Amino acid sequence: MARFISRRLLLSLLTLWLLATLVFIIANVLPNDVGRTILGPFAPQESVDALNERLGTNRPILVRYVDSLLGLVTLNFGKSFVSDQPVLPQLLDAMVRSAKLAGLALFITIPLAITAGVYAARRRDRPVDRGIVLLGVTMSSIPEFVTATALVVVVGVQLQLLPVLATPPPDADIPTQIRYLLMPATAMAIVYFGYIARMTRAGTIEVLQSDYTRTAMMKGLTPNQTMRRHVLRNALIPTVAVIAVQIGYLFGGIIAVERIFNYDGMGRTMLFAAQQKDIPMLTAGVILIGIVYMMATLVADMTIAWMNPRIRLDAER
Amino acid sequence: MDYSQLDKVRRSAVPLQLDAVEAFVAGRLSRREFIQRASIVGLSMASIGAVIAACGGTSTSPGASGAKTGGTIRCAVQRPVSVDPVAMEDLGGYGITAQSFEFLCAQNTSEPSGLSPGLALEWTPNADGTVWTFKLRQNAKWMHDGSAFTSADVVATMERLVKAGNSGLKGVLPAGGAVATDANTVTFTLSGGNGNFPYLVSVYNAQTLITPKDYVAGTKFNDRPTGTGAWKLKSYNQASNAVFERNPDWWGGKTPLDGTEWIFFDATGPMITAYQGGQVDAIVQFDVLTGSSLLTDPNFTLIAQPAALHRQIWMRCDTGQFAKKEVRQALAYTFDRPALVQQLFKGRAQVGNDHVIWQNYPYYDSSVPQRTQDIAKAKSLLAAAGVPNLTATLYAGQLQEIPDLCALLKSQAAPAGITLNVSTESLSTFYGAQWCPKAPADPPCSGAKELGIVDYGHRATPDVYLNAALKSKGIWNSSQYNSPAFDAAFTAFQASVGVDAQKAACKNIETILNEDVPVGLPYFYNYLAGNSNKFTGVFSSALGQMSFATTSKV
Amino acid sequence: MDVVVTPAPVAPMAAPPVSERAQARRETLRLLIKRPAFILGNIVIIGWVITALLGERITPYDPFNYFTIQQLPPSAEHWMGTDRLGRDVLSRVMVGSRDVLIVAPLAAMLGVVAGTLLGLVMGYYRGRVDDVLSRLVEAFLALPVILVALLTLVVLGSSPIVVVGVVGILFTPIVARTVRSAVLSERELDYVTAAKLRGESGRFILTREIFPNVLGPTVVEMTVRFGYAIFTVATLSFLGVGLQPPSPDWGLTVSQEYTTMISGVWWPTLFPALAIASTVIAVNLIADSLQSVLSD
Repeated sequence: MARFISRRLLLSLLTLWLLATLVFIIANVLPNDVGRTILGPFAPQESVDALNERLGTNRPILVRYVDSLLGLVTLNFGKSFVSDQPVLPQLLDAMVRSAKLAGLALFITIPLAITAGVYAARRRDRPVDRGIVLLGVTMSSIPEFVTATALVVVVGVQLQLLPVLATPPPDADIPTQIRYLLMPATAMAIVYFGYIARMTRAGTIEVLQSDYTRTAMMKGLTPNQTMRRHVLRNALIPTVAVIAVQIGYLFGGIIAVERIFNYDGMGRTMLFAAQQKDIPMLTAGVILIGIVYMMATLVADMTIAWMNPRIRLDAER
Repeated sequence: MDYSQLDKVRRSAVPLQLDAVEAFVAGRLSRREFIQRASIVGLSMASIGAVIAACGGTSTSPGASGAKTGGTIRCAVQRPVSVDPVAMEDLGGYGITAQSFEFLCAQNTSEPSGLSPGLALEWTPNADGTVWTFKLRQNAKWMHDGSAFTSADVVATMERLVKAGNSGLKGVLPAGGAVATDANTVTFTLSGGNGNFPYLVSVYNAQTLITPKDYVAGTKFNDRPTGTGAWKLKSYNQASNAVFERNPDWWGGKTPLDGTEWIFFDATGPMITAYQGGQVDAIVQFDVLTGSSLLTDPNFTLIAQPAALHRQIWMRCDTGQFAKKEVRQALAYTFDRPALVQQLFKGRAQVGNDHVIWQNYPYYDSSVPQRTQDIAKAKSLLAAAGVPNLTATLYAGQLQEIPDLCALLKSQAAPAGITLNVSTESLSTFYGAQWCPKAPADPPCSGAKELGIVDYGHRATPDVYLNAALKSKGIWNSSQYNSPAFDAAFTAFQASVGVDAQKAACKNIETILNEDVPVGLPYFYNYLAGNSNKFTGVFSSALGQMSFATTSKV
Repeated sequence: MDVVVTPAPVAPMAAPPVSERAQARRETLRLLIKRPAFILGNIVIIGWVITALLGERITPYDPFNYFTIQQLPPSAEHWMGTDRLGRDVLSRVMVGSRDVLIVAPLAAMLGVVAGTLLGLVMGYYRGRVDDVLSRLVEAFLALPVILVALLTLVVLGSSPIVVVGVVGILFTPIVARTVRSAVLSERELDYVTAAKLRGESGRFILTREIFPNVLGPTVVEMTVRFGYAIFTVATLSFLGVGLQPPSPDWGLTVSQEYTTMISGVWWPTLFPALAIASTVIAVNLIADSLQSVLSD
């Protein structure tokens, strides 16, 4: 197992390097006048030139590339072009906030989705199953910005049940924080419910049809015992894999939701940074997201390996 | 007509002030224009009131009576990009810095385009408007150390601004032009006569807030929070909000509210829903189309100020399909201006006549005939120019109603044989790629596309528009307009100081621009802001500077 | 009389001959048509495709140049009411399908073609090639699609071509991953070993033997990607970096109209939103049916 983890960590570093390079390329592909973007079109040229000098945007591209890599390695992510403050503290704050939102969304969704998926699989092709599948398909087809908009207007403005701005006051206790985050989390949960439920259902069906399940039943185990001891473990494997990969989509959905609810998480921060061409913020942000994703997949893979010894052994070969 | 009152004022007035009084008495200035003009040239509020009363009118004064104290107001504002008082360029920055810092001349709350005493108690021009003497307020204090505000602070601020090339003061105030004649008086010696100088050191030239004499240019407001104003910065988070609390040492007394909170947004839509959901109480600026629900909301107090905010549809006068004057005029004849005003602003805009002299400027001359939509005329002009049909790409940035304006212009121009292909992109890309590309750098903006739409913010005088956008080799002259007649008219305008002279010069400018059409200007739209009815006494300039100093809960 | 029976030569365990495959396909199609979800999904999609093709010819009003003075609620003259500038919502929703139905499928196809090629190569050849490419794929997967698309579109400007390219490229790793795991399980099967023993080249095995057998998951993946493409393009337009005004694109329209919902003006927001949802649901229904039938 140790070899497994260490190999993965090394490969992760490689991936992070690729990520950093990718972002750097995208951010620098077109010549853009950073000073002009920050100060706006009506600022005098002298101020723009002075700012560019100060930020060092006129240096040759390779120098800037090496500089940014060195910075990342020493965990010095630099200062934001816009606010001139160190980038990392702001990003970590935003990350924590987004994590709370995503966490609440997953917390709502996962138990419900897995239960629904298994339930549907056991009653395959019966009306309940068809209903759950249809519900899942419908829910995962509605983009988050649509459900978020509907929630804001109906629940937030018309009924005034929940706050429209998702940022809770500082030092709020947990129930208050949940109250503020409930609407955006629900908007996201709706989309993921469909996907996870269907994945679980597919995995469960496959396992239910397999030989070892039949063997277990023939051995005399009741359906519930079979379920618990064999089916669930194996059926959840694709589900766990999916949840980890979903971190990427989770983040995408978060951008639109955070914008509608004016919530200051990673999504909104990245959106603003992209519009302002705030390259240090963008690079650091993407790296952070990449790290989170890689940790999530690592944990997911370890969980899968633990659940299914065959895969673990195969990986070590 | 109460001559004794009038004579009292006349006797103590300096020439420029007298000029305004006489123009009003003779009916050449409306009451509103008089208040505006007189306050600029330094006639005191009391004298203005006396003149108006003498001529049989009544002047309104803002009532201030037993207001409830306590509470905080939360307002929604576009996230400020820069809060460096000297270099800031966006409404978020202007509004936030104006909470703590103050100007020599403040906004006149009863006559929004006029002025009233701020850090300067009174100001007086000499006979030809070349020297202005400002008497300063004596009891203002700096928040950071309690020291007194003096003329040294004013002089230092002005020098800093001149050095930074402030667009309003450029060419008007030379280096060393501001001199402290004593601790409470500053004399400004200008490069030439200028009848509008106080505007340039007022709320309308947003960077001219007075900062302490030892302020270092480039310092951000939140790194060194100070000021002489009503609110003290308590906390500033670039990502989310700025919180202010009452400044107990403010010269204006105790503010009714305990504090204000400015919440940052990246788009107008969430601002509106936040207000509707009860989480903000005021909105610093919104556009009609996104906020149309607010216009009919009975619980919302709308602050709608006519302003010189506009869009310029520039057309290259030197090369390309619009080089001929007839083609430019033809395009201008396709604009259905009242329809644009109605559709884009629900009536909250004024029709423009393809020149930058806004109707509410005191020297606006209304004798130039208003151009209206005339497709037949457009067609004949095009035929005369030899291009019965033309296809062009209209470039624009994605800002507020501009993309919708493009759609409407496209459909209005089609019947005349002009096919417009709309190309919009993000604002920051647009400025650098289509409007004023960096290269070629001389003349400035010579790399601009042949047809595009650019936005202009409110200015209290048209000097900046005339100078930068229309004068030959102007720094924002995307149409590459180069007319000796216009340049001469502009110089004449700048040199004129009396009411009549300014009006005559403006008439000339309006006529030339309306004829040459280097830019199409269909409207000047209103600045919209507002607050919930739970609060009263909220005022705003057309530059995002919302004042809560007299705000109280209802 | 004795009949000499010459035993037919035992065919190696190769992929079934063409006619059998065609028969299998017909069978699949028959099963699919029996499923109501499949039928419904196809009806909706074909409906939108027809609307997109016919465009302005069948819209009740000109979606770009016709303006009413006021914003009108749904009525007999305007079934879906008019938007904030006075344009007929029904006409704009109909024409809005065109942009989506061009951009999204192109992006999905780009992703699927590139991803399948990549996945086939990675899964079959393994070794160093697989290792390197896998790292690249993982790097791409670590990036949230919307964020990278956002960044690229802000930098390069949001023309439809760039949107197709960006979304397509970002889908490639996901497809590659799916195809790769399908290939991984296929390559261990006997018929592949048999083919190798026969001396077939790698390319032959990939295209003639393995690919047809991973076609199932690939087709499913393509339909799923199509759904996600619509989803992603709508979200990007909502954020302001996808299709630009005055395009009647659905996502863009929602972002421009949703603030008026509070004053009761629900129609310019609801109908485009329903349009997006209906399209994605239809595509997902089709994908789901395919998956059910093909995995039996």
